[in-house]
Amino acid sequence: MYLADLFAAGLAIGCVYSLVALGFAMIIRATGIIHFAQGELLMLGSMSALSTLWLMPRLPAMLVLVCGMLASGVLAVAMEFLVYRPLRLRRVPLMNVITATVGMSILCINAARIVWGSEPLRYPELFSTSTYRFFGVVVSPQLVWIMVFGVVLMGLLQLFLKRTRTGLVMQAVAQDAEVAQLMGANLTRMMIYTFAIAGMMAGAAGVMFGSLFFSFFEMGFVLGIKGFVAATLGGLGSLAGAMLGGILFGLIETFSAVYVSSAYKDAIGMVLLIAILLFLPSGLVGLWKARS
Amino acid sequence: MESALLRRIITGVVLAALFLLPVFEPHQFVLHMLSLVAISATVALGLQLLLGFSGQLSIGQAAFYGIGAYASGLLSTKLGLPFPLAFLAAGLIAALTSLLMVPITRLTGAYLAVATLGFSILVYLVLKNEEWLTGGSFGLMGIPRASFFGYVLAKPAHAYLLCVSVAALVYLSLLRLERSRFGRAINAIRQNEDAARACGVKVTLLKSQCFVIAAFVAGLGGSLYAHQVRYLAPTDFTFWKSVEILIMVVIGGMGSLFGAVLGAAVVVLLPEALREVGDYRMLVFGAILMGVMLFGESGLAGFLGQCLKPFSKR
Amino acid sequence: MPEAFLETVALSRRFGGLLAVDAVDFQVESGAIHGLIGPNGAGKTTLLNLIAGALSVTRGTLRFRGTDITRWHAARRAHAGIRRTFQNLKLFAEMTALENASLGLHAGTRSGIFAALARTPGQRREEREIAQAALRALEFVGLAAQAHVAAAKLPYGYRRLLEIARAMVAQPALLLLDEPAAGLNQTEAVNLSGLIRRIREQGTTIVLVEHHMDVVMTVCDTVTVLNYGRKLAQGTPAEIQRSPEVIEAYLGSAHALA
Repeated sequence: MYLADLFAAGLAIGCVYSLVALGFAMIIRATGIIHFAQGELLMLGSMSALSTLWLMPRLPAMLVLVCGMLASGVLAVAMEFLVYRPLRLRRVPLMNVITATVGMSILCINAARIVWGSEPLRYPELFSTSTYRFFGVVVSPQLVWIMVFGVVLMGLLQLFLKRTRTGLVMQAVAQDAEVAQLMGANLTRMMIYTFAIAGMMAGAAGVMFGSLFFSFFEMGFVLGIKGFVAATLGGLGSLAGAMLGGILFGLIETFSAVYVSSAYKDAIGMVLLIAILLFLPSGLVGLWKARS
Repeated sequence: MESALLRRIITGVVLAALFLLPVFEPHQFVLHMLSLVAISATVALGLQLLLGFSGQLSIGQAAFYGIGAYASGLLSTKLGLPFPLAFLAAGLIAALTSLLMVPITRLTGAYLAVATLGFSILVYLVLKNEEWLTGGSFGLMGIPRASFFGYVLAKPAHAYLLCVSVAALVYLSLLRLERSRFGRAINAIRQNEDAARACGVKVTLLKSQCFVIAAFVAGLGGSLYAHQVRYLAPTDFTFWKSVEILIMVVIGGMGSLFGAVLGAAVVVLLPEALREVGDYRMLVFGAILMGVMLFGESGLAGFLGQCLKPFSKR
Repeated sequence: MPEAFLETVALSRRFGGLLAVDAVDFQVESGAIHGLIGPNGAGKTTLLNLIAGALSVTRGTLRFRGTDITRWHAARRAHAGIRRTFQNLKLFAEMTALENASLGLHAGTRSGIFAALARTPGQRREEREIAQAALRALEFVGLAAQAHVAAAKLPYGYRRLLEIARAMVAQPALLLLDEPAAGLNQTEAVNLSGLIRRIREQGTTIVLVEHHMDVVMTVCDTVTVLNYGRKLAQGTPAEIQRSPEVIEAYLGSAHALA
């Protein structure tokens, strides 16, 4: 069934967007900045994982994912430590911080181009080639695994934030940094954790996307924006919104590409973004909160 | 001496030097590069009004630059419109398109930035996909040189003088705006929007006007670009071009018109000067962008201002 | 009965579950200096913000010189002659005192983009007039010597004065002052009282929110007392001081009215 294929594809890419969106949401909640370089964390995770795979071709899929996540996590922390923290300490105006994240984005993209070249890079087959059958419907294993990994990661994140002490402290800091500090929260460490997790989510997304399509130095740019669209659709600053927005946007985009126009596939996201910013700035979560 | 007088003298000297340059018969490549600097300066000046004065971070100026370029190119190739008309039409069409952005001016900070980014991508996609109009990825070829009433500006020196004249005109116009009631009002919006409103400033209206002016100016720059390089491709007007324009304003110094010109010169000329570093150009720019944000936003213009401080009194 | 200069009818403002201003009726006469006092959280600044247009009204009506201005936004009210200062100073930090004051004249002047570009004689004359009026306003509040100093560099007391200068430079019909004496010492407060009276002599009606009781009692003709968002009492300072409800509302506060 063709529709099932589209649905599965939409869900899979939706998981990718959700992970990126989660990173945006976490960083915005903790610092208020829109992290323009989020997409680059995805890209760097994707490329690093690929390099690892080149070095060790027998590495199982799970470990490739972990490698990508680690690489992005480390890079995210480096960004925070070397650039964002000094900016925060100097109480630089928001405009400047945003511009700095744009600069970081440019730096990462061009560094990647120098290291990995400008040609798109293929991921070798990460998952078994046989297909799965769900209720009589044939689904590609890639898509299934991506959805599984995606959901598991998001579930783990929720568990971490709601059940562990560190996670709760992170949430407290995100809500009110000053008060959390008065209660003994170590702001510096929480910031590092926030960026590390946002980076890891992006890295995972990068590996998933790479295994579905391919990796190239500019992949983070459009995916980053789409992740942002997803986060905005769900409701900027809300983690649940980010996850919901990602899945929803993945589905919308996949179906629109087929039924509306494929040349303007990326345009769908842009139009949706502008529409949301103008008409529904608090996103779907905001809408749901207003209703209840 | 009075700092205002000092400023006037320097501006006069610089302008005189720029206009007299062709007398020394520099190599035509130098004139071509300086023409590109003037064109970029024109666009950067518009962004300075938008960002440095009214505080609106737009990373979508390349959209208007591209619209102006293609409009001028198409009007002169397909409809045979003479350059002066195509030039003005380019600015007007870009300005009209910017009216689409008026609802977006309600947004602030990063949300505005992302919205302008989205708009820029949309325009790029249209330029790339609508082959029947723009030639798509194949580009638009055979754009004639600028000409006035039949006199074609075939000599690089003449094209150079045209570009510098436009840039100077835009610079002086924006200078006048800066020192006027309008200029005070938009600076007020940037510094404290609530207080501006309490003074009766119609914030949304003025913000939109800034967008339109910046788009108009970018469109004019686009037209000059089209008739200078005479071939357009959509890849000339991607998001990265918007970023480049932002870098010009940032490096030159936020809020300084002179800075925007300096920034344009640096961004256009530096890669040529560092030919061997070619591949690393954007890498360096990314680092510079972050560095300037860390160490102060007064950029090159601020730095020069500090150097000249001993010579001026307030 | 002549229409009140400024009048609110059952004016209310709700924030989620909290009714910050609860069906307040009060009137101000033309040429009066009217105080708005009450314990912390009484809704004074909220009420002032409603009059200024910085906050929208949840319910009720606001009338200025007989016109219903309830739905007017802030900039439109400024054009109609209502100006205000802010409790936590909203100056244009990078601009000089003179430039800050010049912005107070934005509403009454007209030169736009084209006039500025063409530097018409009208525009140039208007600019001269703006500069002159702004300087006069600075002289009026005593800041003439600081005309070319950036607002951010001025000491606190001067910044408060500049905020007032910007608000009164256009000789507004109604001036709203939000805690103008906050943070001022005794001498500065006395000077402020004098300044407020001089502004009234120019023909401006004044409504001020204030905690500094000395200023309120010496300068105000009439006073409205708010408590928990509701109007508790209205009258002359002497009447308010004697009112048992008002005294009870302030019981326990360090600033006893007696």
